[in-house]
Amino acid sequence: MSDTAFDVSSLDKQNGVTLGRVLGRGKVGQAEEGSDGVMRATIRIPEDELVYEPGVLIVPHGGTVELTLINDDKNTHCAVLPSNGDTQFIWLVNHSKGTATLELDGPGYYWYGSTTGNDEGRGLTGAIVVSGNVPSEARLDRPPQPQP
Amino acid sequence: MATEEYVDAGTAVPYAALSMSAGKAPPVAKGVNFERIRNARDEPHNWLTYYGAYDAQRFSPLDQINASNVGKLKPEWVFQAGNLGLRSGATTYAFEASPLVVDGVMFVSGWDGQCWAIDAANGNELWRYRHASPFDVSLCCGNVNRGVAVAEGKVFMTTLNAHIIALDAETGKKIWDQVYGDVRAGESATVAPLIVKDMVIVGSSGGEFGVRGCHTDAFKLETGERVWRCYMIPKPGEPGSETWPDDGEAWQRGGANCWITPSYDPDLNLLYYGTGNPCPDFDGEVREGDNLFTDSGVAVDADTGKIKSHFQYTPHDLWDYDSTMEHLLFDLDGQKMAAHFDKNGFLYVLDRTDMSPIRVAPFVDRIDWGEVDEKGNVTPLRFPHDEGDPVHFWPGPAGAKEWTHACYSPRTELLYVPVQDVGATATRRRREFKESIPYWGAGVAVDGEDQTGYVSAYDPRTGQERWRWTNDTCMCSSLLATGGDLVFGGEPTGEFNAWDASSGDLLWQFQCGSGHHSSPSSYSIDGKQYIVAPSGWGGWAEGFLPKMLGSSHGSALFAFALPD
Repeated sequence: MSDTAFDVSSLDKQNGVTLGRVLGRGKVGQAEEGSDGVMRATIRIPEDELVYEPGVLIVPHGGTVELTLINDDKNTHCAVLPSNGDTQFIWLVNHSKGTATLELDGPGYYWYGSTTGNDEGRGLTGAIVVSGNVPSEARLDRPPQPQP
Repeated sequence: MATEEYVDAGTAVPYAALSMSAGKAPPVAKGVNFERIRNARDEPHNWLTYYGAYDAQRFSPLDQINASNVGKLKPEWVFQAGNLGLRSGATTYAFEASPLVVDGVMFVSGWDGQCWAIDAANGNELWRYRHASPFDVSLCCGNVNRGVAVAEGKVFMTTLNAHIIALDAETGKKIWDQVYGDVRAGESATVAPLIVKDMVIVGSSGGEFGVRGCHTDAFKLETGERVWRCYMIPKPGEPGSETWPDDGEAWQRGGANCWITPSYDPDLNLLYYGTGNPCPDFDGEVREGDNLFTDSGVAVDADTGKIKSHFQYTPHDLWDYDSTMEHLLFDLDGQKMAAHFDKNGFLYVLDRTDMSPIRVAPFVDRIDWGEVDEKGNVTPLRFPHDEGDPVHFWPGPAGAKEWTHACYSPRTELLYVPVQDVGATATRRRREFKESIPYWGAGVAVDGEDQTGYVSAYDPRTGQERWRWTNDTCMCSSLLATGGDLVFGGEPTGEFNAWDASSGDLLWQFQCGSGHHSSPSSYSIDGKQYIVAPSGWGGWAEGFLPKMLGSSHGSALFAFALPD
């Protein structure tokens, strides 16, 4: 294998090295927690990028996450989002804006995507990262352990 | 960015709203309570609890389908679960559940947090629930779930991230949710809950990640309030702690998870757990001693969660011989017995009042890991010992029997067991413990070609095999015995079979298109008997049948019945 440095940005675009955008790209953003405990964020689909921005959304803990989803692209997409109870679906025609309310446990992360055509393969997948720990009563009764 | 006003895309809707799911089930579960579950076999048209009844016999008294007509059995309906998007253990999903049926409504779980209420007469979806499972949850053995419990108008299910949730049985809406495991420590949950009195009881998974297991937890079924927690590895100073190094940390990472539903004797008020392997699985030098209560049958007081008695099948396990599998409870000749087919290749018949052995007998042809005498005393012979030195042994870590369940017919007074005759090579590779990272202590390769399997009938009075049906692959689906003197079970290659319970003759077969690694059940509606079988190959096939690792995954529930 060559150890020549590779320009990662050429993987992070449409019709670059490959056909679409490789998994896990996009910027990292954080949700803001309101006084009502709901964690809110806005996610956009920029024109011709086929990516959710931010591609990785970090929320501080499990609970209710309210997303504002904006499609600034000139093509139609959607979002199929994880939520306790049932997967949530929103259709996002060109130049549209909607909301999704999700219930997610923490810690852990969740994928979501646009399931029209092969949007998912081209780059329209995002991640919601839930930080935090499980409640103390759910943890093992043992001393602290070595970490990776 | 465009400046004109955005088109209103509205609010995201549940996926079920974009399907023909009815969204409502009849209130059949309202009257299900402890007494009805205790007497489950008095209502043979239902399958009220994981094993069909507390005794784990997996016996249905229904007898409409019998040896004379089973050849006419045909699929009545098929429910397709399907898949969606990226999920944890994305290629390891398998349909491992045991469907429950209450007065014509089926409640069944799938992988990845899915649960459905289904019209058991025609397979139509009544409601669905999906728990969002973190993509990065630790799973030793696949994205699976083994079933639900039903009582007092609620459906109970565990989730991959170790929650126990209660759903409204009419709507599928969540009523309460309790976390009982630590995903940061490598814990997860796949077990089917058990209702006992006013409690719902669960266990945890994570024995390959060095958790301190098993804790089994009991919660009030109405509120989710915790009642008790029982650890299967004692802390220093507690009974059994003398079987762990007294100057080390091994007990803190010792495994012994209870990831299979216990059986229960209401008269003795005892839960019968099988416990998992010690951790690290194959490196015994870091955990000298017998390592109680790993690889054991453990009787636990259902009211207090206290351990009352135990029998350890494989002391100081070096082969990954979990004993999580069921304990079948039955009375014979005035004795209260519990039968257990262990991964180590031996059938144990115990006195379940004190877990003392009555008899021990091998049930697989190839055993060379050690010798076990008639009282269960073990002499180890072949095991990974020297660093980097490969050691082959039979049975392999998959065990002579997987978690999938044996059954017992009170009509024939025989036990029926699915058997895997396959070995493996383990090479000890010591590693330090780090929380949430797999902690095996070896590299393991299960034999690919040299394997076989069978379904056998055993006489619990003698420990002798009465008949055997041999297959060219391991047998690893649960078995079901019926009042029609039939035994049902599936093959890894997709065939779902019916055998004569007395002779072992194969009487009927249907190709379901994907392998069976689940627990079929039986029910009836308006006098018509059904056999229902989840078909969906997957899980940790590399551990028990690597030859079939490339077989197609499925996601279907088949209901079979005789023609009208």
